[in-house]
Amino acid sequence: MDQFKLAELNSNETAQYIVIQLGAEQYGINIKFIDNIVRMQNITRVPRVADYLKGVINLRGEVIPVMSIRLKMDLPADEITKATRIIILKLEQHGMIGIIVDEVKEVVTLSSENIEKMSYDAQEGKVNFISGIGKHNGELISLLDLNVVAMEK
Amino acid sequence: MDVNQYLEIFLDETKEHLESLNAQILNLEQSPEDSGTINEIFRAAHSLKGMAGTMGYKRMQALTHDMENVFSEIRNGSMKVTSGLIDTLFQCLDALEEYTQNIQETADEGTNENKPLIEQLNEFLKSGGKTEEAPAAPKAEAAAKKDTVERKWEQIKLGDPEKHVFSVAKQQGKNVYGLDIRVQETCILKAARAFLVYKAIEEKAEIIVCNPSAQDIEDERFELEFSLIVVSENPLEQIVNAAKNVSEIESVTGDVVEVEIIEEPKANTGISIIEDIKPAAASAQSQNAPAKQSDKKANKPVVNRTVRVDIEKLDVLMNLVSELIIAKNSLVSASSTEGTSSIAFNEQIEYLESVTTNLHESVMKVRMVPIESVVSKFPRMIRDLSKKLDKKMELYMSGEETELDRTVVDEIGDPLMHLLRNSADHGLESAEVRAQRGKPAVGSIYLDAYQDGNNVVIEVRDDGNGIDVEAVKRKAIERGVITPEQGDNMAEKDIINLLFNAGFSTAKQISDVSGRGVGLDVVKSKIESLSGEVEVKSKLGEGSTWIIRLPLTLAIIQALMVIVGGEKYAISLGSIQTIEDISPSEIKLVQNSEVIHLRGNVIPLIRLSKELDIESTKSPEENMVVVIVKKGEKLAGLVVDELMGQQEIVIKSLGKYISKCKIISGATILGDGEVALILDANALI
Repeated sequence: MDQFKLAELNSNETAQYIVIQLGAEQYGINIKFIDNIVRMQNITRVPRVADYLKGVINLRGEVIPVMSIRLKMDLPADEITKATRIIILKLEQHGMIGIIVDEVKEVVTLSSENIEKMSYDAQEGKVNFISGIGKHNGELISLLDLNVVAMEK
Repeated sequence: MDVNQYLEIFLDETKEHLESLNAQILNLEQSPEDSGTINEIFRAAHSLKGMAGTMGYKRMQALTHDMENVFSEIRNGSMKVTSGLIDTLFQCLDALEEYTQNIQETADEGTNENKPLIEQLNEFLKSGGKTEEAPAAPKAEAAAKKDTVERKWEQIKLGDPEKHVFSVAKQQGKNVYGLDIRVQETCILKAARAFLVYKAIEEKAEIIVCNPSAQDIEDERFELEFSLIVVSENPLEQIVNAAKNVSEIESVTGDVVEVEIIEEPKANTGISIIEDIKPAAASAQSQNAPAKQSDKKANKPVVNRTVRVDIEKLDVLMNLVSELIIAKNSLVSASSTEGTSSIAFNEQIEYLESVTTNLHESVMKVRMVPIESVVSKFPRMIRDLSKKLDKKMELYMSGEETELDRTVVDEIGDPLMHLLRNSADHGLESAEVRAQRGKPAVGSIYLDAYQDGNNVVIEVRDDGNGIDVEAVKRKAIERGVITPEQGDNMAEKDIINLLFNAGFSTAKQISDVSGRGVGLDVVKSKIESLSGEVEVKSKLGEGSTWIIRLPLTLAIIQALMVIVGGEKYAISLGSIQTIEDISPSEIKLVQNSEVIHLRGNVIPLIRLSKELDIESTKSPEENMVVVIVKKGEKLAGLVVDELMGQQEIVIKSLGKYISKCKIISGATILGDGEVALILDANALI
């Protein structure tokens, strides 16, 4: 995580983000945490775990847990369409995790001046999944704080 | 040459020698007159000293040197083995272990010189009598060796081509020299030294003949000496000195070879040369070498045939085999579903299947090591405990050759040690109590290991007091682990199992052997982390038995695939007893839980659909498929919807992220690429 933050602090540093669609909102995921993007596939349910953990998939011989980011964020459950994808994240702390997204749109390059930091508001008392907001071609992209996303509830 | 690259070998071998010393000194205590044991000890101590010296660990060398002196006295019969001496020797071993530990951690032996130990040893030497004999004996031996050793190169028989080379060299004004090089007995890296000598000489001269052959020398297939015949224009002295500059070379002797230009009558052909030389060399050895050296010779080839391999490399190999098995499984499923079942194709798949199964078995075998390496330190530990606790006890071990996966063997030592300490401290009664109960004065502790199907079972048994169930219950209530009401309703077995609770120790007095109350729960969690289980049986007044059950393999198992509510699950074949077809009318209720009565056993039913939070696809009136699984002696019937068949599966971890689910022990990838979960029958029961 620290690495992630440091990279953003260095002014004029640019980073590539993959823009995904979740419901009505657009989110960005730093490309360096992404191992792979695969099509939606059959997910093997694991009993007796949190509901947002949808189960496990086979990624080239590895068993990878997959979670629904919608359920984690208390959004309505996923509707699986042709555009649904699983993004495989590789995180230092948690290893490989897949997250289900509605659609993968594009790759954008954001320089640090185009990123607005989110100040953490303790009074909100709600888990904040966003580390910042990126501005790109007049659109706003919420940048996901992946460690918060991956953290167990 | 950098010694660091030999550090690992040094550490491995040092540990081996220390282990053997520990075991042999124990033997020595039992039978002080056994010359075989003493020789073995002497040999191990000697190698240790040599190795420490080579690696430049002076303090370690000094200590082993003095130990060796003591052993030498014992061997000569001029010193008696006393209990005090054995104690001191064990302390020395502990000190050596400490050095080894330091070296392993920091590549340095540390600064502890262990002066008091060395003084103690010297004290024993003095009181043991004629100390002067010790140095005298080896000297005489060495002297004797020198006589027969001399001019061994003369035994090299020359063929025509070599002779031709010599006569040409002679004509060119060069000299032909014969050289005998003797490596110090203490040298552990003979081949390396010989190679250095070889190099040094090569700079000064051309090496024509080498006995044994250069290849043999490189492979360390030679005793302490080897001979060369070289051609050079340099004087002999220069060559001899060059060779002598290499460390750990005991002697280099050389002489000018008289070269006859005419053919010698005793010249032989290539094949008989080798045949001639071998017996000559061997007889020269056996004449002067005592039993010690001939033993060494017999051991050598065995040592050379093994290769030390990094366990990580084996892990990689194992992973590849797993991948291969997954690929094979998908071929199998593809062939059965696509309907393209040509006979030839199926035959090839069957062939592939047998190859992968054999490959898997071989790789598993490579990873298997006997548990001996772990248990061999226990006799010593029990001996120490016996003194410390002032109880007479004896450890009997069997099945040390039982093999387990290397990773398991590495981990199993501590839990076993805990259990043995427990038996020694809590289990065995004091001498007075034993006498009252009419038991033999010496308490017995047994450690038995054996293979049982897909499991390896290790039992720690003692003939001591056994577990006092009432005492455990009282203690549990006192500690608030259970309420008095609970205690009254609990079965004896469950109460005994309370011992595995954290922070539970029944020893009335806390000794430094056990009784800190951290023992048994650690044992349990450690063994469970190895996917094993531990159980205890006990009879008050007669003793208790701790049974540890460990899976033979950790990575690939045979499993029964079942379907529950449309989902596929695997159950390890090792835990399955039978599979039954049960009609719903056979289900009885006992204490409001479902059981079936099967061939005299009352077996509780576990409905997997309920455990897995899923709807069964079968209607309740239909006959049920029940998989009877066993855990130790407990049985349970798992109700499934359908059976799929037996399959070899590769166990994959679910990862830290989904580790909460206790009843799932892992996942596997099926032939069609889908993931199936592996049910942990042990956790269900």
